Amino acid sequence: MAWLLRRAKGLALFVAAAASAAGPARTQMPITIKVATHYNAKQSAPLLACFSQYEASHPGVRIVHQQVSYRDFLQTTLISRLGGSPVDIYNLYSIWAPQLIGMRALDLPPPDIERFVRSSYKQSTVAAASIGGRLYGIPSAVSVYQLAFNRRLLTAAGVAEPPRTWSELERTAAAITRKNRGGNIVVGGYAYGQSVANVTHVFYAQMYAAGVAPYTPDLRGTNLRSPVAVGILQRQAELFRKGITSNSIQTRDFTGGAVGMTVIANWQKDMLRAAFGPRFEETVGIAPIPTDGPGGTMIYSFFWGVDAASRVKRQAWELLRWLNTARTPGGLSCTGAMLAGMGDLTGNTQDLSAMADRIADPFSRHFLAALNAPGAASQANVWHADEVDRLLKYYIEMAWAGRMSSAAALAEADSEIQAILKEQP
Amino acid sequence: MSTRAVSIGEWLSSRRVAPYLFVAPIIVFGLAFFVGPLLFAAFVSLTDWDGLGHPRWVGLGNYLYLAVTDRFFLKSILNTFYFAFGSVAVGVPAALVTAAIIARSKYQAFWRTVYWLPMVTNIVAIAYIWKFVLADTNGLVNRALGVVGLPEPNWLTSPSISMLSVILVAAWMSLGHNILLFLTGLNNVDQSYYEAAEIDGANAVQLFRHVTIPLLMPTILFVLITSFIAALSSFALMLILTEGGPVRSTTVTGLYLYDMAFTDLRLGRASAAAYVLSAIILTISLVQLRLFRRGGVEAH
Amino acid sequence: MATNRSVRLRLPTIFRYAALSAGAVLMIAPFLDMILGALRTPAEQLAIPQVYWPHTPQWGNFARVFTELPMTRWLTNSIVVTLSITALQIVTSAMAGYALAKYRFAGSRFLLSGVLGAQMFPFFLLIIPIFFLLRFVPLAGGNDQLGAGGNGLLGSYMALILPFAVTWYGVFLMRQFFMSVPDEIIDAARIDGAGEFRIFTSIALPLVRPGLATLGIFVFIYQWNEVIWTMTVTRGAPQLQTLPVGIYLLRGAFADQSTESLQRAAICISVIPIMVVFLLLQRFYIRGLTAGSVKG
Repeated sequence: MAWLLRRAKGLALFVAAAASAAGPARTQMPITIKVATHYNAKQSAPLLACFSQYEASHPGVRIVHQQVSYRDFLQTTLISRLGGSPVDIYNLYSIWAPQLIGMRALDLPPPDIERFVRSSYKQSTVAAASIGGRLYGIPSAVSVYQLAFNRRLLTAAGVAEPPRTWSELERTAAAITRKNRGGNIVVGGYAYGQSVANVTHVFYAQMYAAGVAPYTPDLRGTNLRSPVAVGILQRQAELFRKGITSNSIQTRDFTGGAVGMTVIANWQKDMLRAAFGPRFEETVGIAPIPTDGPGGTMIYSFFWGVDAASRVKRQAWELLRWLNTARTPGGLSCTGAMLAGMGDLTGNTQDLSAMADRIADPFSRHFLAALNAPGAASQANVWHADEVDRLLKYYIEMAWAGRMSSAAALAEADSEIQAILKEQP
Repeated sequence: MSTRAVSIGEWLSSRRVAPYLFVAPIIVFGLAFFVGPLLFAAFVSLTDWDGLGHPRWVGLGNYLYLAVTDRFFLKSILNTFYFAFGSVAVGVPAALVTAAIIARSKYQAFWRTVYWLPMVTNIVAIAYIWKFVLADTNGLVNRALGVVGLPEPNWLTSPSISMLSVILVAAWMSLGHNILLFLTGLNNVDQSYYEAAEIDGANAVQLFRHVTIPLLMPTILFVLITSFIAALSSFALMLILTEGGPVRSTTVTGLYLYDMAFTDLRLGRASAAAYVLSAIILTISLVQLRLFRRGGVEAH
Repeated sequence: MATNRSVRLRLPTIFRYAALSAGAVLMIAPFLDMILGALRTPAEQLAIPQVYWPHTPQWGNFARVFTELPMTRWLTNSIVVTLSITALQIVTSAMAGYALAKYRFAGSRFLLSGVLGAQMFPFFLLIIPIFFLLRFVPLAGGNDQLGAGGNGLLGSYMALILPFAVTWYGVFLMRQFFMSVPDEIIDAARIDGAGEFRIFTSIALPLVRPGLATLGIFVFIYQWNEVIWTMTVTRGAPQLQTLPVGIYLLRGAFADQSTESLQRAAICISVIPIMVVFLLLQRFYIRGLTAGSVKG
């Protein structure tokens, strides 16, 4: 009985939906669009303001923002999907896409959206949002890794210029590092961290800087066994062995002035500015990632995608287009406003020119230059990237801890990662 | 047959029918939330499944993978045992000694309460509290050690002692509960044993060794074994305190398979791993039952 | 209970109290450290070396936590879920424990060994299957009659409550308590013509009140602190997150050190009220607990 009734109700809904789609005077059914991003309350404020504005101009549309921390984002997305309650719109790290597409979680954008993306975004960001040649969403944040250094700490250690090579890096870091009586680093010359981003992604960036991509172009093999990769890990492990860096200090301690140098991405600008206050410009310096190779870095991207199981796909894409189009000529789109607030960059050409005055300072100029330099390469969207990155992190840390030689660690990592990449359909 | 018609109410609350009604909820629950899921998990463990598509039958492939190919599964089991042995070896003696001292002190209720505080604290809070207390440079512990001029270990960031730190936190967390169990046991000990031993001139340590411990043996066994088994299956503390690191030094099997299931969507392999660990825990539990019988812990 | 003379270690009194006090410091200091941490300003937090005693305690952090995080909702969820589970487990344990203690019926021995055996299975084995079981409940949460299409019970409190409706340990514990209820009283009531349910509710249950209290408190504490299941299920349903899970999953919001004080303030709030409640009630539950383990 009950199911019969539900059937009838479903049919009625279907008819109503069909009617509303067909009729010119679209009598809108009230709908809710759920949007998940990893941005915190402060960062997402401009976006939330846009949501309210959209709700006001589109009666019947309710937008719910779900903040999921970056470290939980993939897991939350996957579990929500397994549980049959996915959100409608995601702001996705491009490397998660292959796994999500493998489980048919992402909707392909309608043709008008695809045309919009291809005409309004830089080619490199369009590529990052594409898997197997197909575009899966609208590019949003573009970040790039560079060396951040604390000028005051460098000067205090008698170093005038940021290091350009590994040897210089090691010397400079050693000059800055200060330990307390208990032997723990209080001020670190150079810092890594404990997250996948601080360990694995920084390692990738250093590989790109050394002129070798971590993955083969077909994304089914790695270059982790290459002498360049092994060399990088060896130099890293030496920093730990010599006590120049340690797990006691992390990238995030840079904000507190406890770290002389570390690799960061541009979106941390706002956070750093807030932490250093008026001394931001004179303290925080940006330089290319030190390398013995030709130089370069890794670019990583986010994009807006729509869940394939969403019941409001059309409205979701509509909303996304609205969010990514400037309201006023020469102005910023909603996404652009949010990214500009953080100090992040974008592939949206209009937004880029609209935020020109915001990224004219030395900090952003350096990042922008790095982004456009020939050595800058987009992070490879490999299969099960999250799993692969965690695996590699484990082996890198094994080498850091001195429990494995760099060559052995990367060889093990390579064979385990190859096995995962082989599963790619 | 019966001389008068029995109303439904009377029939339901008759001695023949009522017991079944009393146990009906746990039977329904047992089938839906225990037996069914166990069977389902067994089936999943024999397949390759991402939770969305159709499961692909792989027979014992997942078990074989864990035994042969997986380079970390065995290590995760060793970590699990390290944690379980460690937390019991540290926590139970500490609780026993503390309980013995409390038992002959004034203000028992006060001491009991102080040691009980972590029991009513949620594990997320405990993990974060200790993350801060054990921080390398700013943590309370290393600050205190620094003042005295002692070395300041990297409690949570050095892979060689991180598990030890997790064990200490786990012991701290369960101290109050075990103290309570021991106190109850101690308060039931017949004092004439002590009087006799004292007349023989036994000192405090001798009393503890030769009177308290033997008399408390059933309780000690009970606490040891139940804590050990509970520790084998726990992973929430590691998840929040260390996320299994550094260098996976605190990745116990439970944590390893949780990520396997819900981040990598290898539900078949994760179910197989869960079954392997469960089989180990079940075996130990059965051995425990034997021990209990012999140790006279039937009452528990 | 007040002073116990049965165990006479002849250590000097001073040493004993010194040891107990040292232990007490170990127990309490971490909590005080957390409170101090909640009161620091970002500048004090970031100073090298970090300022330990906050100069101007930021009591406002506690209020900020309520405006910046959905603390009230988390707290409500925690209370609703924990109380529901506690009530359910007490009812199911008491009923089944009574039947297993006081009746011989077809399958009762089998059931008892089932209850004992089920206790030995670790919960993580059941996480995956129960997750899918709840997701595919037909006609719930937008599902069709075959259980497809929606999220089943995963979007409702039921997902947090139902998997914990029964505790095998509790059934066994209550059986032990009911064993000590004399059969004569029950038989006398039968002769007076009382039905089995009347006997259960008005004669047997009142006699095991300490047991019920013990069970209730254990369950409450355990469920209040439950994280793994709740965290798994509420990924797709943030509106159901409980206090500890909410704080854990929002750790990304406290990514930089300047906001660590806020995180600590949130943690204080998740700890202190429940602690106060338990301190006030301890007269009742400690008695239940000790009674429980004496003849458990």
